[in-house]
Amino acid sequence: MQESKIVFGKWETAALLINALNVQVFLNFPRTMAERGGTAGWILAAYISVLAFLLFLLISRLYSRFEGKDLLDLGEYIGGSAGRIIVGIIILIHITFIISIILREFAEDMKVISLPASPISFVILFFLSGMIAGAYAGIEAIVRFHAFIVPIILAGYLIIIGGVAPYYNISNIMPILGNGAYAIFGSGFFRISSFSGLIALFLLFPFIKTGKNFKSAGSLAIGISSGVLITSALTFLLVFPYPSAIEGFLPIFQLARLINYGRFFQRVESIFVMIWAIAALLYLSMGFFLIVYVFSKTFRLEYYRPLIIPMAIIVFAISLWPKNLMSAIAMETVYFRSAAWAVTFGMTLLLLLVAGAMKKRNHRKEGDRK
Amino acid sequence: MLANFRKTLARLFTFEEPKTKERFILKETEEEMAEGGQKEQDKKVEPRKKKNEGLQLNKKSGENEENKGPKPDISKALSENMERIKDIYSIPTNGDAVLREFDLVVKNKVIPAFMVFFDGMTDRKVINDDILQPLMLLSNLDIKSDEKSIADYIRSHILPHNQLKEFKAIEQVVQGVNFGGCGIFIDGVDSAFVADVKGWEHRAVERPNTEQTIRGPQEGFTELLRANTALIRKILNDEDLIAESLTIGRRSRTPCSMMYIKDITNDSLVKEVRRRLKSIKVDYLFDSGELEQLIEDSSFLPVPQIMVTERPDKAASMLAEGKVVVVMHGSPFALCMPVTNNELLHSPEDSYVRFPYANLLRFVRIMGVFLSLLLPGLYVAITNYHQEMIPTSLLFAIEASRERVPFPSVVEILIMEISFELIREAGIRIPGPIGPTLGIIGALILGQAAVAANIVSPILIIIVAVTGIGSFAIPNFALALGFRVLRYAYILLGAIAGFLGITTGLFLQGIWFVSEKSFGVPYMAPFASKTAGGIADQFARPPFWKQEKRADYMNVKDARKQPHISRGWKSQEGEDQKEEDDDAGK
Repeated sequence: MQESKIVFGKWETAALLINALNVQVFLNFPRTMAERGGTAGWILAAYISVLAFLLFLLISRLYSRFEGKDLLDLGEYIGGSAGRIIVGIIILIHITFIISIILREFAEDMKVISLPASPISFVILFFLSGMIAGAYAGIEAIVRFHAFIVPIILAGYLIIIGGVAPYYNISNIMPILGNGAYAIFGSGFFRISSFSGLIALFLLFPFIKTGKNFKSAGSLAIGISSGVLITSALTFLLVFPYPSAIEGFLPIFQLARLINYGRFFQRVESIFVMIWAIAALLYLSMGFFLIVYVFSKTFRLEYYRPLIIPMAIIVFAISLWPKNLMSAIAMETVYFRSAAWAVTFGMTLLLLLVAGAMKKRNHRKEGDRK
Repeated sequence: MLANFRKTLARLFTFEEPKTKERFILKETEEEMAEGGQKEQDKKVEPRKKKNEGLQLNKKSGENEENKGPKPDISKALSENMERIKDIYSIPTNGDAVLREFDLVVKNKVIPAFMVFFDGMTDRKVINDDILQPLMLLSNLDIKSDEKSIADYIRSHILPHNQLKEFKAIEQVVQGVNFGGCGIFIDGVDSAFVADVKGWEHRAVERPNTEQTIRGPQEGFTELLRANTALIRKILNDEDLIAESLTIGRRSRTPCSMMYIKDITNDSLVKEVRRRLKSIKVDYLFDSGELEQLIEDSSFLPVPQIMVTERPDKAASMLAEGKVVVVMHGSPFALCMPVTNNELLHSPEDSYVRFPYANLLRFVRIMGVFLSLLLPGLYVAITNYHQEMIPTSLLFAIEASRERVPFPSVVEILIMEISFELIREAGIRIPGPIGPTLGIIGALILGQAAVAANIVSPILIIIVAVTGIGSFAIPNFALALGFRVLRYAYILLGAIAGFLGITTGLFLQGIWFVSEKSFGVPYMAPFASKTAGGIADQFARPPFWKQEKRADYMNVKDARKQPHISRGWKSQEGEDQKEEDDDAGK
C-alpha cells in the first residue's frame, strides 16, 4: 500500500484518538449517561473510563508480541487470507454502520440548530464532501490536521464547561449513586462501547510503528478523553436537574446556550456550531478513511482512492436509512453502543489471545525440532 | 475536442493506475539520525573546505566550466572565426553588435585580431583603456618572457583586465558576450578570451517598495545579479556562504545564483533545489516570479510555497535559518525556500523591534488573516442563518440599515467586494498623477453614493473596509492575494449553508494545506505536523536571546543559533557583583 512509509508521532496519534473518543460528547453522551446512571451518570462515565483503561493496558501488553501489526494482520496470522477477510468484513460492517449513523446524527442536529429549511441530504453532502476530501488527502493529512485542530476543539469545550459555571448546582447530582450501584457497575459495563473509537488505534498500528508509542498515545488519549467524558456528564448533570437532563436534546449545545455574560456576550452557541462541525468532519473523515483503508487491505487492493466515491455513495445511502433523528439515535444507542464493545475489545482480545497462543505453540514446535 | 471529451469520460468511469512518484521529503541529516537528537553540544561540523569553494567568482570555477563545456570549435584561422561570429550576430544587420578589427604586436610579430561586444551593454571606457589600449599599444613593449604560446603571453602580460576567461568553444564566447562581455579572437590561437566589461544601465540600490519597515536596513535588491549576491554577502560576511551559479533558459541563458550556507543547510535540500532549477527547459525567463512558478511544489495551492523578498536582510536571515535563496539576474526579488504558512506571516521587523511589540504585531497580523479571509463570509452567514447570534441592539441596527436595501446580503457584499477589487486593481494600473482622483472616486462610490442610493447598507461598507485593511496587514503580498481568492469561496459557502458551509470550507482548506509541502517541509509546520518548539519559537516571538535553535522542521546541519547563555554579561554581572561583595566584605 502507498501509505506504508507514513509514520505518526505520539501526539498526532493521541489527537486522532481524542477526537474519535470525544466526538460523542457533542452528540448525546451526557444524556445517555444520565439515562443509565441517573444523577450518577458522571460516576458511570468514570467507571467505564477506568474499565477502558484497564482493558487497553491488557491489550497493549498482549500486543507487545505483535508490534506494528493491525487487526487484519492478526486475522491473517491466525487464519490466513480467510482470517483476514473475516476480520476485515466484521470491521468494515462495524465502521461503516457507525460512520453512517453518526453522519446522519450530525447532519440532523445541524439541520435542527441552524438549517431548519434545508433538506437533510443537502446537509449530509457538506459532511460527505469533507469525508471524501479527507480520504483523498490520506491518513497523513487527516492525522496532521487532528494534531492542529484538536487543541482548539478542547479549548472550545473548556470554555463551554467553564462558561456555565454560574449554573452549577451541587444538589442536582444528588443522590450520589443515582439509579443504584447495579445500574452503574453492573449493566453499566456495556457502556464501555463509548470507547469503541479505540479500534482506530488497533487499525493504525502499522503507522505508529513502535509499541512504546502505541501504549503512550493510547494512554494519553484515554486519559484526556476520560477527563472530557466525565466532565461533560458531570457538568450536564450539575446544570440540569435529572428530569430535564434526560429530556435534553444535544446536551453540550444546551449548555452553550446558557452562556451569558453581560449584554453583549450571549448566544455564543453559534460559534460552538463551528467547533462542533469541525470535530464532526475530523471524526467522519478519519472513519471514512478507515473504511476504504480496511476494504483495500482486506481484499489486498493496491490503491484505495478508486474506492472513495463508491464507498461514499454507500455511506450516504446508509445514512438515509433511519426515518428521522430519533430512529438514528435509537440505532446508535440501542443497537450499536451496547454491542460495539464486542468488536473493539472482544474481537481484539480474542484475536490477540489466539494469535499469542499460536505464536507460543509455533515457538515450542520450533524448539522441539531443534 | 471530441477526443478530449471521450478521454475525460473514459477517465471518469475507468481506473487508471497512478504513476508512482516519489515526493521529496526533507529528512533529518545523517548526523541528526546518528546522534539521536542529542547532537547540539558536540555536533561535528563538516571540516571547512577551502575558502570560496564553489564560487563562480573564483577563477578556478571558470576553468572548470571551460573543461566541462561544449566541444572546442574555435579555429586557428581568424577569418573563419570572424565569419562565424558575423553569422551568429547577424552583423551588420544587428545594429548594436560591434565587431572591431585591430592588430597587435607580439614579439615583433604583427598578429591580426578582432573583438566583439554589444554596444550599450558594455563599459566603453573599460574596453578602450583596459582592453584595446593594452592590446594595440602595450603589445609593442619589450617584455622579457619566455612563454611559448601567444595566448599565455597575452593573458599573463598584455591584458590587465581582472576578469578574463579563456574558452575553446564559440558557444561559450557567445554566452559571455550576450551577458555584457567582450570576446577577443586572435589569429593563430584556437581559443578566445572573454573579458567581463558589463556596463549596462541599471537602477541603483533603493528602498524596498513592497516590504517597508520602520526599523532595520532600508536597502532593496536591484535587477543586477552580482549586486544582489553582494548585498547578501555583505550582511552575512561568512565564507561558508555559497553562491552557486546556474543558467536557466535555453535561449536567454539567464544567470541565477543559488545561495546557501554550506555548514548549516541540509544537503538534500540544496540537491533538490539544484535538481529542480537544472531541469527547467524554457526559452526565456523575465522575472523570478516565473521561476517561482516553475519550481514550486503545487501550482494549484492558492498560497505561495516560496517566499519572495526584495530585502537583502530578509534573504540573509533566511539563509541563516538554513534555507536556500535563489537570485535571478533581472529580478529585484529573491526566492527563499522552503517556506511554511507560518513564516509567511512574519515580517523582518519582528526581529528588529523588542519582543513584546513583535508579539503584538504578529497577533495583529493573524487577526488580519482571519478578517481578510472570513469576515465577509461570516457576515453573510450570520445575517442569513444565525441572526440569534447578534446581540439584540446590534441586530436592530443592522436591520434598520438594511431595511431599504433591495438586494440579499450576499449580492450586496459581492457588489462591494468586486467594486473594491476594481478600485484596488485600477489603483495599481493608473498613471501616477491621476492616482488621487481614483481615491476620491472610490471613496465617493464606495462610501457616500452607494449608501445614499440604498444599494448597500452602511454596515457593509465597514465590513468591506475592515476586510481590505485586514488583507493589507498580511506582510506577504502573494499570501494576501491567495486569501483574497479564497474569500469569495467563503462568501458563497456562508451564503449556501451558514456556519456549516464556512466550517466545511475551513476543513477542506485545512486538509488541503496540511497535505502540501514546500520543498519537502510540511506546509503547515510547525503545527501540523507538530515539531519541537513550534509555538514558542515559530508562532510567538521569544526575546532575541532566547531564540537558540533553528526551526526543527528544517533539519539543518547545525541546529543551534546561539549558546544557551548568549548574553555573556548577564552571567558576568552576577560574578562581578559577587566579587564586589567579597571585596566590600574584606
